[in-house]
Amino acid sequence: MILALLLAALPAGVTQLFADANAAYLSGDVARAIAAYEALVAEGVASPELETNLGAAYLRQGKRGLAALHFERALFLDPGDDDARTDLAEVRRGNVDKLEGESEEGGTETVARLLAPLPGAAAAILFVASWVGAWTLFGLRIFRRERRQLSTFASAAFGLSLLAAALTYAAALGRGLALQRAVVVAQAAPAREGPGEKSASHFEVHEGTTVRLEDEEGQYRRIKLANGLTGWVPSGAVELVVPPGWAGRPVLAGSARADQP
Amino acid sequence: MRGAMSPSAIGSALLLAAAAAGEVEISASADRDEMALDDTVNVSVTVTYSSKGEGDLELPAFRDFDVVSRAQSEQVSFAFVNGAPTFKRTVSTRLALTPKRAGSAVIEPARISYKGRSYSTQPIRVRVLPAGQAPPPEEMDPFADVHPGSRDLLLRASVDNERPFVGQQISYSLYLLARINVSGIDKLQLPRLDGFWTEEIEAPQQLVGESRIFDGVPYRSFLLRKRALFALRPGRSAIEPAEVEVLTGFGMLFSRGSARRQSQSLALEVQPLPPGKPPGFDAGNVGQWNLSATVEPLNVPVGQPITFRLVAGGKGNVRDLRLPRLPAIGGLRGYDATTTDKESIEKGVVTGTRTLEQLLVPERTGLVEIPALAMDIFDPVQRAYRTLHTEGVRVQVLPAPAGLAAGAEPLAQNLLVAGGVRPIRLRLAEVSRAPPPWTRPWFWPLLALPPFGLALLLATDRARRLFVIDPQQRRIKLARSQARKRLRGAKQLLGKGEAAAFYAEVARAITGYLADKQGVLAAGLTREELGRALSNRGHAEETVRRVVRVLDDCDRARFAPAAGEAVARSAMLTRADQILSELDRGRKEAA
Repeated sequence: MILALLLAALPAGVTQLFADANAAYLSGDVARAIAAYEALVAEGVASPELETNLGAAYLRQGKRGLAALHFERALFLDPGDDDARTDLAEVRRGNVDKLEGESEEGGTETVARLLAPLPGAAAAILFVASWVGAWTLFGLRIFRRERRQLSTFASAAFGLSLLAAALTYAAALGRGLALQRAVVVAQAAPAREGPGEKSASHFEVHEGTTVRLEDEEGQYRRIKLANGLTGWVPSGAVELVVPPGWAGRPVLAGSARADQP
Repeated sequence: MRGAMSPSAIGSALLLAAAAAGEVEISASADRDEMALDDTVNVSVTVTYSSKGEGDLELPAFRDFDVVSRAQSEQVSFAFVNGAPTFKRTVSTRLALTPKRAGSAVIEPARISYKGRSYSTQPIRVRVLPAGQAPPPEEMDPFADVHPGSRDLLLRASVDNERPFVGQQISYSLYLLARINVSGIDKLQLPRLDGFWTEEIEAPQQLVGESRIFDGVPYRSFLLRKRALFALRPGRSAIEPAEVEVLTGFGMLFSRGSARRQSQSLALEVQPLPPGKPPGFDAGNVGQWNLSATVEPLNVPVGQPITFRLVAGGKGNVRDLRLPRLPAIGGLRGYDATTTDKESIEKGVVTGTRTLEQLLVPERTGLVEIPALAMDIFDPVQRAYRTLHTEGVRVQVLPAPAGLAAGAEPLAQNLLVAGGVRPIRLRLAEVSRAPPPWTRPWFWPLLALPPFGLALLLATDRARRLFVIDPQQRRIKLARSQARKRLRGAKQLLGKGEAAAFYAEVARAITGYLADKQGVLAAGLTREELGRALSNRGHAEETVRRVVRVLDDCDRARFAPAAGEAVARSAMLTRADQILSELDRGRKEAA
């Protein structure tokens, strides 16, 4: 992830707009601050600081769902962001939905949280480098039998590549879980048995609750809560933590964020 | 009422000049402080003397006004107070003025010189509006459209505003107009006022009449009830008639009877609040309100309570007012707030204050800021929404005194409770949103490349080994054919009769074979060394001897050309060929 955190040079306009948004927030003009932060997001700026500030502004407006969404996005961009993690915990303390029996799903949430900070990109690069190196040493050993120490080096390189491969796999698993994460942004949404208005609803979800997206059908999305409760909710009621266009996620036609780079 | 001297207007404009040892007083007043350019203002300058003598009154220049009319009256009175006569003479000068221009106008001070001293009034400021924009009358004339005709008794209901906004106060008045003697009233039945929140303004216990002239006929008007109404919902609304039993005549002894009267019904058009409501606006916040906040004390030891007091005061329905609440403040533990209301009637207008009190207990030392609060209201007079703000208040929280902190359970001096949203970050660092390497198209082919490459190298090497012939091997393989070739050459030389060359070629055929096939260079060896070399390679002794003999025979024949017959030469060819066959066979056996 270290390589993924390469800092990009920010245009002066972006920095100025961010400063203006912060000034508006600090002066109490939260609506103006949100408009400026959202303008930066629409410009394609991806920053844990921006997402954290936007989440704080939405929380001050009482929009807990959007606040949780942007804190989650900050954590996706930087899993070590302590501010975003604390603020997200603060939002969750006030959530309407209290889940019972979370362990039934094998602690998917915990696994995702553990895997998220893994340096997947760096591990993948190390995997490729050590793998190529190991095979090169092995080849040299075959053609130059008198260089016996090449065997030791090749074995060490293969061991390193195995370790890097395990890390890469775990990071890919965590990323897969992150790509499925979504947050309920509607104040309340009925979860139905099927993707239709006429299907029965047995429970409701409320803003701020984190869910896993499992399927999509028409204007409905199938969600699964951490305790295994599953239902179909209107598409607009939940928002993906990793929006289309981010981190290689394909941009879907008709997506609310389809215009993002 | 326009043109009349409104008590409230006088009150605001009355400016009293100094009294000269109690001998003279001068005052000036205007009947309004706001007027249209085409309107007139009545100004009264009053000089009161308490002793004989007369001063020189000097009226102002009226630079902003034209004098329309001027009148003067004088009143003299004597009285005995505590047995002593007192004298009072009042000279009143009334002026009607019309303004010269719109804007802020000033009625300059009036002056009087009396017994060598000069006294003056204060200037009076009047706001002049453009022509035709007269300020609205303070209230409607309840009898503007009253024509009693031949009726002796008339019950008249009125409201001062027939098109109020939701939540705006209107006054409902019930008057009895009579041109006969009224000794009392009985069984006053007010209408049901559904759709309104009401508050009593006046409910006179005694009948007090005022003289009024209607269509040239003198009447006396008696105010029976006055109530404040606040409409609760927009739309058309009707107020049903009121009824009253009127006792007529001279008191109880000369009562001539009673009469029942009913007022007319009233129709109101309650207007909804205009568009442009601020987000989160509460419909009860209608009126002319002010908002203030106080905190006491401003310096407090940790653990000791402070009182936050938020006060909204002004005109309107205070019971429907919704005050803003303090958010959670880090470092302060807040208790439930209490609300108290205080209502009063001032000049027919419902006024009041709503006070919200909340105890806050500081839990950590330092400067704690109680944030500013804002409340949106709709002002029905200005017909506009306004936002009222309070100022933020800073409270200095000090460590608790040692005596307070030292107990069985010591007070926390600085309780730092985790939680709350953290402050925003001010610096922006953008991160790359590049997809991870394993999702790139080059990732998996790159991983597959090394093993496939190595396998390819190994296969190539193997192929090269299969298809490429070693020159040494090639020499070994071709040694016999080379030797035969030389023997054929020798045979040709034999045909030409070149004996020396013939034997040299036969010797080269054998030594060449030995060099290529056996790896033995006969040229640098003695015959004994050659024999040992061949023996070491596993050839039979007989074969070795025959080789040595053939080579010796060839050498002899080369250097003695005359020697040797043609038959012997042919036999040499045969011997050489046999030797080569034996050497070839012997090597295979050795291998």
